[in-house]
Amino acid sequence: MKNIFLIDDDPVFVFLTRKMIRSMNFKAEINEISDGLMAISYLSENIDKPELLPDIIFLDLSMPVMDGWEFLNEYALLQPRLTKKIALFIVSSSISPHEVERSKTFQVVHDFLIKPLAKGKIREIIEEM
Amino acid sequence: MDKETKSLSDRQAAGLAALAKQIVTTASLKAQVTAFKKNEEFSRNNEADQKLVADKLDKQKKFYENILNKLPTDIAVFDPDHRYLFVNPGAISKEEYRKFIIGKDDYQYAEYRNRDISVAHSRRAKFLEVKNTGKEIRWEDSLPDPNGNIITHLRRLYPVYDEAGALSMVIGFGIDITERKIMEEKQASLVKQLSAQNNQLVDFCNIVSHNLRAPLVNISMLAEFIEESEDADEQQLMISKLRPVVGNLHDTFNELVESIQIKQDLEIKTEDICLADCLQKTLDGLQTEINKLQAHIEVDFSKAPVIRYPPKYIRSILDNLVSNSLKYHSPARQPSIELRSEIVDKNIVLSIRDNGLGLDLTKHRDNVFKIGKVFHRHPNAKGFGLFMTKTQVESMGGRIWVESQPDKGTVFFIEFVHQKT
Repeated sequence: MKNIFLIDDDPVFVFLTRKMIRSMNFKAEINEISDGLMAISYLSENIDKPELLPDIIFLDLSMPVMDGWEFLNEYALLQPRLTKKIALFIVSSSISPHEVERSKTFQVVHDFLIKPLAKGKIREIIEEM
Repeated sequence: MDKETKSLSDRQAAGLAALAKQIVTTASLKAQVTAFKKNEEFSRNNEADQKLVADKLDKQKKFYENILNKLPTDIAVFDPDHRYLFVNPGAISKEEYRKFIIGKDDYQYAEYRNRDISVAHSRRAKFLEVKNTGKEIRWEDSLPDPNGNIITHLRRLYPVYDEAGALSMVIGFGIDITERKIMEEKQASLVKQLSAQNNQLVDFCNIVSHNLRAPLVNISMLAEFIEESEDADEQQLMISKLRPVVGNLHDTFNELVESIQIKQDLEIKTEDICLADCLQKTLDGLQTEINKLQAHIEVDFSKAPVIRYPPKYIRSILDNLVSNSLKYHSPARQPSIELRSEIVDKNIVLSIRDNGLGLDLTKHRDNVFKIGKVFHRHPNAKGFGLFMTKTQVESMGGRIWVESQPDKGTVFFIEFVHQKT
């Protein structure tokens, strides 16, 4: 059973992604977190409880309170102490090459995915990770 | 342009050094002649020759002085003790003053003209620098002329040595570069404006690629699911989710168009606006919200009741800031908003103080007015409001800034320039 975190403030997108993953018949638990601050607090609270940590994080960039970039700054500090290997993907509706470049400065980022997510890509990620 | 002036100055410097040398040589030759004259052994027969030589020297001296006097720069020559040996009319236009200054220093001149001696201090410092280092110095100085206009000179001061290697004099000259300076300042402000506009363009790019694209992605995904679904209830659910996404796209689009318009409204008309009347319209529009929160609103526009501004902007600024204060109120206390106008340095400063959630400015100072930035969890926060307000304020030449403490409250200050205060 894969534990997937969707860190995104857009309820429609979260709803659709959830639906898409379910339709692929994966055994996956999907958790939604609507901003970076809530996500980072959850991760740091449960840093030593691998059973509560996700396998995969899908991270939106534009969010209230703490956006994706600010989350990445905090996450990069936290990551070495995590008791579980987590694959983090940026999932953004932005098509700005500037943001793709910026994401490459974060080693913790596996890949930059542009919305809408393709079913094939999701399947590949969940199967591989 | 810079290069041209510089190379011209080099040529002038060399020319001037030669001229100055001539004057000194001429002067010392003349001294020799005078000494000669005193010599009683000197033959009367040579008197005519001697007169001829003196006349010739005098002519030469006048010739060189004439050149120095006609040069459109200001020239001053000093002895090794910083006393004036020569000034041209470019430096001091009045002959009377020019005559006075020979053999005097800047302190004596300042006293004579009843002037502030700080100029004499700084000139002495420059002179000593040249004398002590033996090197030429260049600097720019800006001083008001008798009409109060700031005149900028590019000045150079350099030492001249005699054959024995002793300092014989120091030559200073200055070229009026006021026009160039004004151009440079204009260019600098243009560059600043351009780079600000470029930053806004990058912000715009991001907002178009994100905020406009996000709802489009949702619409296309929803459409795809509706097509694929065979369950009528599920299709209905998807369709119900379409409506708010379309609404969001519409709002974002309108806000983008509105903020683009601000940049095109360069010639927007200003009017004298009564702040209290304008605020009343804002408060009327927010009445439901104010009643619901039982917000306390205090207003004091007595110090500056009227501003000169585009009515559309002031209305939008007040709407944005007051509704922000209401939106981000603290649930822990009764919301209180204070609006004040004051006159600071001939400008009007409007302040809007609340006791709301506040912001951590150590983290967010650079982002407060950025497009798409939202600091609190609120369903209607899109991060357009403050960006719009800032754009409107700055397009009219004013400034907006913020003071805030988390959980204490926030104060926004807006400066309105070009007012009749």
